[in-house]
Amino acid sequence: MKSTTKLIGALAAGALLLSGCSAGGSDAGSGTSDGGDDATRGGTLTLGQLGDVVSWDPSQAHVGHQFVPYQLVYDTLVLREPDGELSPMLATEWSYNDDRTVLTLELRDDVEFSDGEPFDAEAVVANFEHFKAGNGRQAVQLTQYESATAVDEDTVEITLAQPDPAFEFYLSQAAGLMASPAAIEAGTLETDPVGTGPYLYDAGSSVRDSQSVFTAKEDYWNPDLQKFDSVELRILEDLSARANAIVSGQVDWTTLDARTADQAEGAGMQIIPDYQVDWTGVTFFDRDGAINPVLADVRVRQAINYAVDRETLLEQLQLGRGTATSQVFGPESGAFVDDLEDYYTYDPDMARELLAEAGYEDGLEITLPVIDGFATQITAIAQQLSEVGITVNQVSAVPADYVADAVQRKFEAFNFNLFQGEAWVAINQIIAPTATYNPFQTTAPELEELIPVVQEGGEGSEAAAQDINRYVTENAWFLPLYRIDQISVYDPETITVEAQIQSAMPSLYNFAPAE
Amino acid sequence: MLTFTLRRLASGIGLLIVISALAYTLLFFSSSSIARNILGDQATPEQIALKEAELGLDQPLLVRYLGWVGAALQGDLGRSWFNGEPVTETIQSRLPVTLVLMIVSIVLVAVFAAVLGVLAAVRRGWVDQTVQVGAVIGDAIPGFVLAIFLVTIFAVNLGWFPAVATIRPGAGAEAWIVSLTLPVIAIVVNYVTSSAQQIRSAVIKELEKDYVRTLRSRGLSEREIVLKNVLRSAAPAGLTVLSLQFIGLLGGVIILEQVFAIPGIGALAVNATVLSDIPLVMGVVIITVVIVMIVNLLVDIAQGALNPKVRLS
Repeated sequence: MKSTTKLIGALAAGALLLSGCSAGGSDAGSGTSDGGDDATRGGTLTLGQLGDVVSWDPSQAHVGHQFVPYQLVYDTLVLREPDGELSPMLATEWSYNDDRTVLTLELRDDVEFSDGEPFDAEAVVANFEHFKAGNGRQAVQLTQYESATAVDEDTVEITLAQPDPAFEFYLSQAAGLMASPAAIEAGTLETDPVGTGPYLYDAGSSVRDSQSVFTAKEDYWNPDLQKFDSVELRILEDLSARANAIVSGQVDWTTLDARTADQAEGAGMQIIPDYQVDWTGVTFFDRDGAINPVLADVRVRQAINYAVDRETLLEQLQLGRGTATSQVFGPESGAFVDDLEDYYTYDPDMARELLAEAGYEDGLEITLPVIDGFATQITAIAQQLSEVGITVNQVSAVPADYVADAVQRKFEAFNFNLFQGEAWVAINQIIAPTATYNPFQTTAPELEELIPVVQEGGEGSEAAAQDINRYVTENAWFLPLYRIDQISVYDPETITVEAQIQSAMPSLYNFAPAE
Repeated sequence: MLTFTLRRLASGIGLLIVISALAYTLLFFSSSSIARNILGDQATPEQIALKEAELGLDQPLLVRYLGWVGAALQGDLGRSWFNGEPVTETIQSRLPVTLVLMIVSIVLVAVFAAVLGVLAAVRRGWVDQTVQVGAVIGDAIPGFVLAIFLVTIFAVNLGWFPAVATIRPGAGAEAWIVSLTLPVIAIVVNYVTSSAQQIRSAVIKELEKDYVRTLRSRGLSEREIVLKNVLRSAAPAGLTVLSLQFIGLLGGVIILEQVFAIPGIGALAVNATVLSDIPLVMGVVIITVVIVMIVNLLVDIAQGALNPKVRLS
């Protein structure tokens, strides 16, 4: 008996020793296996990303978090500064003709793609054609694009079907990413990006949906934009994984939510202040009452707006990290109107009155699709609406099909976080009859008149955009709740980073090693 | 033994066919707007129709399934609908990570469970009570809660381990060890007590049998009896539990892989399913079924080797 115990004891001790060994070993080892962060801080920028890119082909590029990976390997024609100003990049200057339908770009003549192909006017034309044909997630950026012509080696003329006030902005976004024409031709961009960008993709060290590794390119034409020796994108879909990664120093930057933000701040991380990009709330799609006739009555939509207590929702759902608002346009959009901020104050009596006027004193029902991320928010809204006699039927929806189903008119309304970009971008996203988030293509004579004025650009443009804002707010096209604070967290010991206006994630160029 | 193995293999292949057909059918009905999801919300109806034709979504279910089987039989599981990578390559890069995590865990569970189970059965008393209580607690705490607890203490606060995995292609053993230690501990703690409990019961049952008394009367030491005879007879029960746990782990690692951002098959399965990436989901399903089959086969063979009677039944 005694010897049995001894044997077992020895086994257990051995096991403990083993596990002790690996624990001790890791302490010394984590520094190196970490990508050498500890040794060469500032040398490597490690970003905790929400998800991987779907494809490295720039014609499939997206916005916000999904855009930064492309900036690593591709340059854009135009550079967007943190405050939204547009600066030269691959294009050194650009100008419109008088009716703003022909844009002439002058190009740098000293740039090469990483496969040795020259960057020139022909390459730009090839990229526009490729982007158009690729019909990707930001295909809307080339809606007005008709053709591009190489005037000479470093001059391109772009012809637009109609003026597009956002076109120069798009050249700093997905549509402006330039890939090697040879790689476009070969059809290999999906897994093997070839651009003129500051970093080279290291496919051998990368694992899809896990991590992507980039190393600085030798002789990059603009070393000012190349602030790190290497960049790693860690794909951390799980929120707690992101929180743990930033707090434990495994990533230099990531994005969190209001609840995990406190934990990160407590651990000495910093959150980029005053960083608002999205508004959250309900979009009433069915404003003509095709599915649910009650929504055709403007008084019903207004009543819903009066029936929600935005401040309380903001406090409860977002721990106060945001700004309550009644308008869907952001402060920097050019369409923002100060006094629309609190156009709808919390006023349940007013809501009941409006409903009675509309003939719904006995109540009415609306239906909202529910996906995981918005379940709490929708329940909170439903609870508040029930106080004035509005019943919200919550129907569960498939997250992967949420937007697709909305576009296919399966919902009368839905709750979403939507981007607050430039006025023209937002109009095309949520207001114009052709907008993605106007699937029933509802419109009004006032809007039909104002939208072309914004499109013309120039003097009257901003006033028209503000009038559009006023119209959709007064007519309650939406139920805006608040602008959400972007919880963009970074480790001030290792890096500095600046917000990027109207982008959920700071631009690559806004990251720099800490002093 | 050979016919026994062949029989098991044949039934396994039958199972594989049934499961793949079922999974394919279920996925077929759950992917209504797949083309639009691939192309994004701006896609035109013409583009969507074109994409659907390209993916074969306009074909009847049976035609699509048979096409998939035909290719699969030649070792071609197709390409991901979303990123175009060959499914077999994706699985090849992800599977080893998950398998290492599972195998290391289950081996440790087996060793600790055997030690604890035998100890509890032989010594009884407080050791036994601790194992019993531990079994209840170990069963009650979900693995991911334990994982979050471990990560908070040992990765975030103490910094001994990385909070998210550092494994990558070509990473040295060190990266594997530091990345997998916490998840392995979470699994072992979660699983060891209940298997120890099973081994304990089996050993106690054996110890009560007549042959043990006979052996004792012959003057064999308790240690010899336990290690040579009792353990061998109790092993089948332990093996069964471990194989069930291993199969259960296939589901269990999904959450652990999410929490630790481990680039394994579990996280892949979640992504593919969320996107309705049918070729990838089917690949994961098939590989999972194959793993389950192999584990069952190995256990059966081991049982047969330990106890010839099994081979006849």
